[in-house]
Amino acid sequence: MGDPFDLAAGWLQEHLLIPALYQFGLMNWEDVSYGWALFALYGAAQVAVTFAVCLPLEHWRPVEHWPDSKAVLVDVLYTLLSRVGILPFVTYVLFYRAQVSVTGWMTDQGWVPPTLEGLFPALLGQQVLTFVLYAIILDFADYVRHWLAHQFRWWWALHSLHHAQRQMTFWSDDRNHVLDDLIAFVWFGVIALLIGVPPLQFPLLVLLLRFLESLSHANVRLSFGWLGDRLLISPRFHRAHHGVLGAGDRSCNYGSVLPWWDMLFDTADFSRDYVPTGDPSGEEALATGTWGQQQMAGLRRFTRAFRRSHVPHGV
Amino acid sequence: MRRLFLLLSLCFATPGFTTQAWAGGIAFVINSGGASISVIDMATQKEVRRIPTLREPHHLILSPDGRSLLVGDTAGNQMMFLDPNTGEVQQRVPVTDPYQLAFSPNGKFLTVNGLARNQVDVYDAASMKLVKRFPVVATPSHLAYAPDSSTVFVSLQDSDKLAAFDLRTMTPKWTVPVGKTPAGVLWLNGKVLVADMGTDYLAVVDPETGKVLEHVQTGKGAHNLFLSPDRKILWVNNRAGGTTVSLDSTTLKPIRSYAIPGGPDDMDFAPNGNIWITRRWAEKVAVLDPATGSFETIDVGRSPHGLFLNPKGPSPTVVSSR
Repeated sequence: MGDPFDLAAGWLQEHLLIPALYQFGLMNWEDVSYGWALFALYGAAQVAVTFAVCLPLEHWRPVEHWPDSKAVLVDVLYTLLSRVGILPFVTYVLFYRAQVSVTGWMTDQGWVPPTLEGLFPALLGQQVLTFVLYAIILDFADYVRHWLAHQFRWWWALHSLHHAQRQMTFWSDDRNHVLDDLIAFVWFGVIALLIGVPPLQFPLLVLLLRFLESLSHANVRLSFGWLGDRLLISPRFHRAHHGVLGAGDRSCNYGSVLPWWDMLFDTADFSRDYVPTGDPSGEEALATGTWGQQQMAGLRRFTRAFRRSHVPHGV
Repeated sequence: MRRLFLLLSLCFATPGFTTQAWAGGIAFVINSGGASISVIDMATQKEVRRIPTLREPHHLILSPDGRSLLVGDTAGNQMMFLDPNTGEVQQRVPVTDPYQLAFSPNGKFLTVNGLARNQVDVYDAASMKLVKRFPVVATPSHLAYAPDSSTVFVSLQDSDKLAAFDLRTMTPKWTVPVGKTPAGVLWLNGKVLVADMGTDYLAVVDPETGKVLEHVQTGKGAHNLFLSPDRKILWVNNRAGGTTVSLDSTTLKPIRSYAIPGGPDDMDFAPNGNIWITRRWAEKVAVLDPATGSFETIDVGRSPHGLFLNPKGPSPTVVSSR
């Protein structure tokens, strides 16, 4: 019996995607379509698992109660677009082609692109351990990227869309400006070139990491305890990052999954307790607009960051 | 840092390979999506070991001396050399984007298609030194040689063309349209056959001029084609139709169609007459009995692609169908 995700993706490929590609003369996309089917299925599983675990948690011990949750709906759209829809497809196509092309060019120049397995040959065949090491390195890279997003005015203008949500829930993890997503994509593309991130070899572990990221945004009074909060990022820890006093360049707790980097670089704050979230310096559309209104508002703030000598940068 | 390196090396030493040869022969199946190679005992039809690769292997070929099985790892930019009798890794060589690969019939050249990098590389087979790189448009997929090793023919999947390269002068000969999304290429009876995956036919091409002489209908998504060891039957895997079709290799008239669901791709021939076929989207290999039309399945890894059967150790009778 094979991997159920692989078999489900295979079924989609054989019965829906290939007939459509053949019909429309697009059979040169058949490898890509299988990759997308896998990404989309794992993404759907991420959403389903996150929903099944986080929703009861948010009902059990919510931090905040809201008269209505309309503002959350757009975050649901962000999540579906990011994990099941077009973004995984673009990522797969662009990332894969670019990585092969650039690393191939490096090999031609006599410089074999580095990989962890190349540095430590004993890791070959130790797939889970290799992934864990890659995950730790990537988590650090994300910490640095996230910290930088809070330091530069133009970058914060984009990233503030993520912070604008006053009704933060587990759906909020993927609410990002498309340009912010694009920067993150390039950022990780460069990191991948430096350490050779393996594509789609460990999807279940990726699923677990993405779940933890979603959980950290949940509207729930949940801490992992004194020690646990210092091993993995809890909703309590990450909520402090989204607090109204944490917007902009005076924020704290920048980590995604591991709080180690915040502790190491003295940006951790374990004292803030379930603070209100949002970014008072941003226009209202960033918080409560439709997807399109939020994107436009982010773009306006982005362009203003270049025009003015001073724009609100946090509170 | 050095301490960390030593610690990791000691803690996670690679498990030793068993160097036994399987009496009933062994099969190698490349799991492109799983970054591994399944080693299968042909007698029991069970996977006995999985060899890790770096990133994304696709195709493999036996060296002319039969001592090495070369596995191209595209995203890993690496060529793995395996012992074809045991699966033991002999060496790993940096090679850019090795997708489809084949030795020339005279054993002099190894041609490697770089599908993602749009290049056709010709290596000196003995030294693995790059002799010539042909930039192409676009996505060089499969390849075949003229029997006298004078020319290599390469399908260019994204531009619907077939290209011919003269290996005596190391110059391009011609590039011509042959049909939608060409994939598998095979030299047969003085002609070049190309499986057009965007159609339901093979294009029969004049090797001198590149002119398409006729179309031979096989099934939706004609993807790859192989000649039986006795050279009497042409086998074609149809990707979209989920079928494997046999044709008379002389007349190109269809003989029989077999349902092989799950994206049939590469193929090899066992001494007992059975045909092994990788099924890309089913994590399985089909072992087809062409007499009855029934097939058994062997579980392998994600996206099984290249396939090689070694029925009895380092025998010169091993047929490489790629």
